[in-house]
Amino acid sequence: MNPLPEWFRPIAEYILREGVPETLRMAAISVIASLVIGVVLGTLMTIRFRPLQWLIRLYVEVWRGLPILVTVLFIFWLPAFDVGSRHVQLSAYQSAALALTLWGSAQVAEATRGAVQSIPKEQHEAAAALGFGWVGRQVFVILPQGLRRLVPPMVGLLVNLIQNTTIAFAIGVNETLQAGQRQFENVSSGLTGQTAPSYAPFLIFGFVALLFFLICFPLTRLAAYLERRLV
Amino acid sequence: MRVLASFEWSVIWDNRGPLWHGFTHTIKAGVVGIVLAYVVGLVLGAVRAHRIPLLNQLAVSYVELIRNTPILVQIFFLYYGLPVFGIHLETFTVAWLSITIWGGAFMTENFRAGFEAVPARLREAGYALGFTPVQEFLNVTLPIGGRIALPSTINSAISVIKNTSLLLLIGYPELTYVANNVQSNTFRTFEMFTALAVCYLAIVWTLSALIRFLERRLALPEAL
Repeated sequence: MNPLPEWFRPIAEYILREGVPETLRMAAISVIASLVIGVVLGTLMTIRFRPLQWLIRLYVEVWRGLPILVTVLFIFWLPAFDVGSRHVQLSAYQSAALALTLWGSAQVAEATRGAVQSIPKEQHEAAAALGFGWVGRQVFVILPQGLRRLVPPMVGLLVNLIQNTTIAFAIGVNETLQAGQRQFENVSSGLTGQTAPSYAPFLIFGFVALLFFLICFPLTRLAAYLERRLV
Repeated sequence: MRVLASFEWSVIWDNRGPLWHGFTHTIKAGVVGIVLAYVVGLVLGAVRAHRIPLLNQLAVSYVELIRNTPILVQIFFLYYGLPVFGIHLETFTVAWLSITIWGGAFMTENFRAGFEAVPARLREAGYALGFTPVQEFLNVTLPIGGRIALPSTINSAISVIKNTSLLLLIGYPELTYVANNVQSNTFRTFEMFTALAVCYLAIVWTLSALIRFLERRLALPEAL
């Protein structure tokens, strides 16, 4: 028994085959890049050197303050530029991933700063007394403790990034929502050959929402569970 | 960089009319959305905190559904999905409705957390004075819990404002829509996005400063 109506099956298959992997891939790329950049910036922000602190603070407040769609469009419409001798023109996919990374790394930087500063001063002093340099103190003593506290909010960040990949819709990246939209256009222009009922858009966008819910809900629960366990 | 050298402030000035028009649309949808989201959040937050049977479960489902699906999908669902039932909404209606539904879910959680942070003994003291549950909520839980929740609700309000930019995709002529249009006609990418960034950051940074101010002003004494 197949619960899906005949006309809907190719649509669902298309969204699952084309859209969902694109969404997950973009979320994975941007969450990893955000973590790397964000942890470095957040740690640097704890150094008492005003110009550096201001610079990172500006980075964080700008990319966190702008709507992601604005960042996506800005990067996408940037004219091609030269880096050294290379001519750079970002694709839609790269533009969206970069915009999500700017936003995500700002979130991570702020969270990392808070986590690092929550580690008692004695830990720094004890590590220094053992002969660790600044980098050694951060890498072997402070960050391992601070990053533990970062785990629940980072799962939350992943959920946000997965949802925010839909913003790449605006510049034509074929993520889950775009895949749904294309199928919706096919159906409403009669391209599919199958006769679809009038409630097709309701079902298509409902299906897209359901897919996101199935991915995000377990992660949200996981974040809440980790949060409780940490306290 | 050549692009920066050719930066023309006059492009922004010459397009001040359309930009202002877009700004008013952003504010219109944003303010309606925020006010209604506060109403939804207050009511459902109270329902959640007091665990009113049935309504509580409905509120949980609503919050989880909204928080675990992208707002853009919700907007598309309202815009393309509802007409099949004969519910034809105007673009502006979808605009404020979608951000209200989204913001309401987040504010519900903000207010629930605030109300639940009110110590039980304060509520019991209210009952001991002979308050009915409604009187107790209005005189004890709401003033104290609302005060605790206020900064985080402003955070949600900031997100609501930022989310109005997504309404560009259903053709609601807000700020991002206008700026994006002008830049695709004139190729003045830097100028238009500078104007956009200034507008959004002005709103967002002002509200963030308000949060920091309120957090200092409203901080409850430790001994509560």
